[in-house]
Amino acid sequence: MEVLPKSISLAATLAVAALFALPALAHHGWSWTQDGFFELKGVIADIYIGNPHATLDVDVEGELWRVELAPPARTIAAGFTDEVAKKGDEVVAIGNRSRDETEKRMKAVRIIINGKTYDVYADRVPPS
Amino acid sequence: MEPLQAVEQWDLVRQLKTSFVAYPVVNAVHIAAIGALLTSVALLDLRILGAFGSLPERPFVMLLRRLALMAFCLAVLSGLALFSVRASYYAGMPVFLGKMGLIALAGATFALFAAIESDKQRRWSSLRRPLAVMSVVIWCTVLLCGRFIGFL
Repeated sequence: MEVLPKSISLAATLAVAALFALPALAHHGWSWTQDGFFELKGVIADIYIGNPHATLDVDVEGELWRVELAPPARTIAAGFTDEVAKKGDEVVAIGNRSRDETEKRMKAVRIIINGKTYDVYADRVPPS
Repeated sequence: MEPLQAVEQWDLVRQLKTSFVAYPVVNAVHIAAIGALLTSVALLDLRILGAFGSLPERPFVMLLRRLALMAFCLAVLSGLALFSVRASYYAGMPVFLGKMGLIALAGATFALFAAIESDKQRRWSSLRRPLAVMSVVIWCTVLLCGRFIGFL
């Protein structure tokens, strides 16, 4: 057999194309978030400041929210590090929630913990 | 989990965890290695399924097998670095464990294939094609599992 039958080649090509055409997933950019600002108040259930993504898990009256922050280097540059927040701290996250409201996920531009404000996306914070 | 938590505290790992440049570079190396690995595996498997019949089999297979092994080693090394920054967290993820299981399965497929090839009487050569199909499917699934580790 010199080459694959055409049908197999076509099926393989389509399968590979399908792999890369998976719907864009969350995390990057703002296209998956709502335009208006959203405020979340709760208790930190988990914190991770590092690559590939800095995130907070926030317990809001028993419901667990995923709060995405800026890229790690930018989040740390804003002063928000492992040292300033820990599990159990009360937190206010201001930013944009997912367009899909069944999803408990938001991207924060500002984090307030223990009375201190950290603007992880200083250029996107709500006008004061 | 405790040894993995200790790894997360290594100086170099902590630097990688918060680095602006190093992590994306390691990430890029991982992607390049995966690209080379999947391409060479797919070409090898397609050769077994009957494609590229005009190319001489032996040098074709030798070259791509060597490339696949080198790419796999590079993917393992860069993968370990990526893993280290959140080792204890990743180690508990079903999708990560699934990926490791699938890589082991791919290794078993390769070993079985090598055993079939080394059989002088060619008793099991009818298994070559199903194994080639399995190999390509397994590696594509490994790729997908890996991609989802970053999103769950």
